[in-house]
Amino acid sequence: MQYGAGANQPVPGDSRTGDPLLSDASLVTAARGGDMRAFERLYRAHSGKVMGLCLRMTRRRDVAEDCVQQTFIRAWRNLQAFEGRSAFGTWLHRIAVNEVLSHGRNHGTRSESNEDAIENAIAEPGDGNKEYDAGEVMDLERALTTLPEGARHVVVLQAVYGYSHEECADMLGIAVGTCKAQLHRGRKLLRERMGLAAEAVDD
Amino acid sequence: MTNTRNNSGNPTDDPLSQMLAALPKDVQPERDLWQGIQAEITKTPIVTDSAPVVRFTSSRWFQLAAGVLLVLATSLTTFVITRQSMEKDAAVQMAQQQVPVPTATAPLNAMPVSFGPEALGADYLKARSELDKRFEERIKTLAPSTRAKLERNLADLRHAANEISATLAENPSDPLLQDLLMSTYQRELQLLADVGEVPLSHPVRTDL
Repeated sequence: MQYGAGANQPVPGDSRTGDPLLSDASLVTAARGGDMRAFERLYRAHSGKVMGLCLRMTRRRDVAEDCVQQTFIRAWRNLQAFEGRSAFGTWLHRIAVNEVLSHGRNHGTRSESNEDAIENAIAEPGDGNKEYDAGEVMDLERALTTLPEGARHVVVLQAVYGYSHEECADMLGIAVGTCKAQLHRGRKLLRERMGLAAEAVDD
Repeated sequence: MTNTRNNSGNPTDDPLSQMLAALPKDVQPERDLWQGIQAEITKTPIVTDSAPVVRFTSSRWFQLAAGVLLVLATSLTTFVITRQSMEKDAAVQMAQQQVPVPTATAPLNAMPVSFGPEALGADYLKARSELDKRFEERIKTLAPSTRAKLERNLADLRHAANEISATLAENPSDPLLQDLLMSTYQRELQLLADVGEVPLSHPVRTDL
């Protein structure tokens, strides 16, 4: 499975290519004044990363695209609330994570947010996903898709997109301890499914 | 966002952490989602951030702001047309002469030009300065939270105007940048004029 290079072609109508670059701050200021073209530039600049995040969290392209669309609609409606304390991209990611979680709640996606569930799942490594066949060695993207939802969300946010335990816990609405446990669980399952040696000391 | 790390010690030693961090972050949607977003947000008029403190649209300060804007628009248009004309002339001249450009001559796009306020003439600067002075007087009468918000908005607008101005100097024919610069200056003046309308005896506003 490959989400990256080959799938990363500019979309039709991508007017950002060759555009003079303005900072996000200036584009946000212009968009706050109601300039939709400035907001479109923000969309062109950030939609790829938001899509990557949503796709890896939801595992479904159609759902991820819906989440991306809703993320930018919500961002436009709440631009006045963006105070610039974090980067605009980080703010967008928070909205995107909310969209993914809302979609999961509205469509009955299982969510594991308590320690017992995590510990049980760690004790039963096969409990990850039915798409996983024991003995199969997977590439990383595929292995990510087979992770249980809670672990997958944490691994994607932390290990792929570089958020801290605290940021990740805040975004997902879980305790920092839960976040750490999910990361541990996710990494353990990834190692198993990719045929990697176990970590000597894995917190 | 923090830097990528594996949360288990040394971020560079663990192959799994390295593989995860090396995954491409961007994945383009298969279809252009902008059309759908645009259709939806067009239905939602945005509430602009430079919320007026008091509006007396027929007052002297509003008229001054409108006058300044007219000067600004004229100056900017003249500047853009002149610059485009200079570039065309230079291109024609170069094509006719067929000689290399002397290295000592700065290229046109490196000319020390700017679309910043100083390039827009003394009249504009004088009027803007008046509005600014009035703003500074009146903003002291507002509640600290309102004052902080308005000052932040003004700083954001000025930062954006400076950046757009600098980018426009390098891309003078970009219509979006021209529009953005005009609307940013317009919002700055509107904000100055709005706050300038607050009478010195006006009760302190805390609801903005």
